[in-house]
Amino acid sequence: MSQNRREFLKTIAAIGASTAAISSVTPKKTIAKTEPFLSEDRKGVLVDTTVCIGCRKCEWACKGAHGFEQGDFENYQNDEILNVQRRPSTNNLTVVNKYIDEGTRTVKMQCMHCEHPACVSACIVGAISKKENGSVVWDTDMCIGCRYCMVACPFQIPAFEYYKALDPKIVKCDFCIERTSEGKLPACVNICPVEALTYGTRNELIDEAKRRIKNHPDKYFDHVFGEYEVGGTSWLYLADKNLAGNVFPKLGNNTAPGVSESIQHGIFAYFVPPIAVYALLGGIMWLTKEKETKKENK
Amino acid sequence: MAHLHIPTPISKKYFTPGVIILALIAVNGLIFLAGRFLFGIGSVTNLNDQYPWGIWIGLDVAAGVALAAGGFTTAALGHIMHRDKYETIIRPALLTAMLGYTFVAMGVFVDIGRWYYIWHPLVMWNGNSALFEVGICVMMYLTVLYIEFLPMVTERFMGKVNLPGFLSRFNKIVDSILHSLDRGLSKTMFIFIIAGVVLSCLHQSSLGTLMIIAGPKMHPLWQTPILPLLFLLSAFSVGFPMVIMESLTASRSFGLKPELDVLSSLSKFVAPLLGIYLIGKLGDMVIRETFVYLTEFNLVSILFGVEVIIGVIVPLRMFLAPAVRKSPTGLYIASMLVIFGVLMNRFNNFVTAYSPPYAVESYFPSIGEISVTLGFVALEILFYRLFVKIFPVISIPSDKAHIKTKYAIRGAVK
Amino acid sequence: MRIQYIFSLIFFAFISVSYGQIENLKTHTQMNLDCKKCHICDTPTKANPCLILCPRNKLKVVRHLPEEGPENLTIDKISSDEDLYGPVNFTHKLHSEMSLMSGGCSICHHFNPPGKIVKCSHCHETARDRKDKTKPDLKAAFHRQCMDCHKSWEEKTECESCHSLNSKKIESTVKIKAEKVHPEVKIPQRVIYETDYDEGSVVTYFHNDHSSLFNLECSDCHDQESCANCHAEIRLESIKADPHERCSTCHDTENNCNKCHKSEIARPFDHKIKTGFDIATYHSDLSCAECHKTQNKFSGLKPDCVVCHSTSDGYFNHSITGIKLDETHVEFYCENCHQDKDYSRKPICNECHDDDISFPTSIPGERIK
Repeated sequence: MSQNRREFLKTIAAIGASTAAISSVTPKKTIAKTEPFLSEDRKGVLVDTTVCIGCRKCEWACKGAHGFEQGDFENYQNDEILNVQRRPSTNNLTVVNKYIDEGTRTVKMQCMHCEHPACVSACIVGAISKKENGSVVWDTDMCIGCRYCMVACPFQIPAFEYYKALDPKIVKCDFCIERTSEGKLPACVNICPVEALTYGTRNELIDEAKRRIKNHPDKYFDHVFGEYEVGGTSWLYLADKNLAGNVFPKLGNNTAPGVSESIQHGIFAYFVPPIAVYALLGGIMWLTKEKETKKENK
Repeated sequence: MAHLHIPTPISKKYFTPGVIILALIAVNGLIFLAGRFLFGIGSVTNLNDQYPWGIWIGLDVAAGVALAAGGFTTAALGHIMHRDKYETIIRPALLTAMLGYTFVAMGVFVDIGRWYYIWHPLVMWNGNSALFEVGICVMMYLTVLYIEFLPMVTERFMGKVNLPGFLSRFNKIVDSILHSLDRGLSKTMFIFIIAGVVLSCLHQSSLGTLMIIAGPKMHPLWQTPILPLLFLLSAFSVGFPMVIMESLTASRSFGLKPELDVLSSLSKFVAPLLGIYLIGKLGDMVIRETFVYLTEFNLVSILFGVEVIIGVIVPLRMFLAPAVRKSPTGLYIASMLVIFGVLMNRFNNFVTAYSPPYAVESYFPSIGEISVTLGFVALEILFYRLFVKIFPVISIPSDKAHIKTKYAIRGAVK
Repeated sequence: MRIQYIFSLIFFAFISVSYGQIENLKTHTQMNLDCKKCHICDTPTKANPCLILCPRNKLKVVRHLPEEGPENLTIDKISSDEDLYGPVNFTHKLHSEMSLMSGGCSICHHFNPPGKIVKCSHCHETARDRKDKTKPDLKAAFHRQCMDCHKSWEEKTECESCHSLNSKKIESTVKIKAEKVHPEVKIPQRVIYETDYDEGSVVTYFHNDHSSLFNLECSDCHDQESCANCHAEIRLESIKADPHERCSTCHDTENNCNKCHKSEIARPFDHKIKTGFDIATYHSDLSCAECHKTQNKFSGLKPDCVVCHSTSDGYFNHSITGIKLDETHVEFYCENCHQDKDYSRKPICNECHDDDISFPTSIPGERIK
């Protein structure tokens, strides 16, 4: 009896250990799996928060470009709303908030269009995809509404239509993919009266951001937010203060889905581990069966 | 062995005061569920853009999967290692697992915004997604569980097919289908049994991978790269306590004598499994130095303490004591604590630990959410009671000759 | 003459930026250079060199009087009827008056080469979707210029404070305020600063003394003002951060702290009390520099009292000091008695007389007052 139990424990331990080994396998090239094609001239937007005047024209234009109820633009001139810390929502893909911390700055928020998006990695059906031009877009025909993208997003961006019984949508900035495919600028970039938003290829914008920091070292905090955060984002931010930990959460430079994907691919490395476990269990089953028949035959 | 224990449909009355209360809870849950389908998730739940997942995922799905672990752990013990002694508990465990996973699927079904697209993961694959892995494995395992349950159906109705009214002309055909099913299953069942265990190991661990992608949104006390391992270990350790608890509950409810000798020896496995889990959990905490968060006295650290001390350490000590393992009350309490511990762990991982960076308020489940969750639990118990009355699930002492079959899952009678 | 000097200086700066090696400015026409590399037009002249504006490595300053610029402008270069907003009527003169205390013309007309004022659109492209992202497009350039002040001035960004609405089909809500001028700036007499310096917390600043007595222009000190500094309800500290910085151009702020820092409010500067010489009666209209040798030190006097105070034959009319010299002394040179032409010191008599004769017990003539 005790002999048997020891054996059992051994096998259980073996299963546990093998799974642990599988889990801890971390293939190094996980990034390549998410992005087969990041174009060299993928686009981005440089947000210069030192220029932003908090007029919220971008919010107004964004609503218009996406078919939301725009309302009277005069209502946007009430800047008291800036003091409310709003988030992008189902009827407002971008918001401008005011942050007061050793000076005041207004910061536009929207999907950052990560280079290695957590939402794309997370989506159970692959309804969210990173397009060649850098935008991260959502496919209404595939989504099952599980909201795992919302759990995954490090910037807390995707919103969900909780009050729709049928066809609720995941809503987030789509980088005006329709407009850009027609050769137009994103609506927010187009309307910004002070060009706080500059649209261009991501590489060129990083150069421009660094040029501005170099030319005005007293004006800018020496960091381009989004250059490396979570593996880089399409939207880049310049500010007079460090935005990380204040306007944005403090995030490392590792890609958001990195660890998760490593584990995932570890467990499912070409289906080897599952098949190995299957074979192991089959072997145990066969062996113990043999023993049993022997015992019975005695 | 004085008596042979043979799986037999229970002939006790279905309705009791307890059952009626459960039925009321179930109906209450279903009413709120109707609200969810008519007016959207937001009208019933406290979920919002900050907290996309609540107790429907944390408890109904994550904890549901963990607590249905009795199915694959007993299958591994009884079938793969051929411990015939535990045959009597395999069928109840299987039924619980089957019902458990059915309600996990139901939980997912009601929680996803577009329930009519629940089949999408079958054809739209994203291998990077932990959720996809969980989804596919759960679907496959659910199928396996239904197949594993089929022998009880064939056993019950083979040779006894009696369809009502004009359908009676199909009696012969249905009977022959059942016969051929039975023959086919007895030859191939081992494939499904192993598959069931493999699939369980996979998705029990992947369920842990789920929250890893939330990264810094998750409290460091829980966020760790070894979450999948911890989930798997905790699933291993909660399997047997769940079976023990069910068996004791069923015995009491149906007025049967508890199969104490089987349960006692089964309970010997719990302490080592729980011990490994505890080592994993505390070891991880020491290596990542997250114990510093325990010095802060707040809701999060309290919940972590409750989870580890009441849910793991106390029952571990209890299962180590022979006196506890030999007394039904002791076993019951210890098992309940393990179950509570794992329940808390899943709740903590999916709800407590999750703190989004721009949260303006914290999440607490709404009455609707709690009602639906309780309703599902009630329904599950009601179905369990119904199934054990229809199908030969629970083994009761019998004088009849016991004929050994290839796979005990098929039961004894031919 | 002076303008030309400045012009050539700027021109040289420009050339040296573009072609650092070229040292001989005069001969640059003979060098093998492409004229169009620096000049836009075919025949550049000194008055209108029509230099290209880019590369713009350094701020180039242009300065005119407000009156020299246009009174009002309509900015309609980027507006069309499809737009939300109509063109802007810009009160140029009013704004240039306001800019006097905040950086002058160059706060808007930055990078302007000498000579003609160039249009903003010369550098700033009208299209937002363009290649060069290093400078804002025209719309942004305009808005940034206006918003910077208007935001701090009005603390909000109402478009209609400058624009008329195209959709409303009404005449511009913005009236051209051509006749409007900047109200006269009230010059404070004295400003009292409460500092946290222990040995004398009060610094009294006599604004009028500094401005009128020393002949300072407002913009000599106030070159970085914004409208809000004066007009906002809560006045910002106009002379900023380190007040010493501003004073230290004339005062030694490293030592002698108690020269400015007093325990109580100081009394205004009085020439009679300080020096014994009452300037109130006859010299009150003079600026310090008219008598004092060096503006900042006020030590010696200039030896040219004679410029004003002379007799008909061109000598110094000593009677004006209150002492009419007698016949002997009137023949002397000033420095015979006033050693080193230092009139603040006591005159010496022992060059000729014995030591018992000295000023003021003995007087070289008679007191007439």
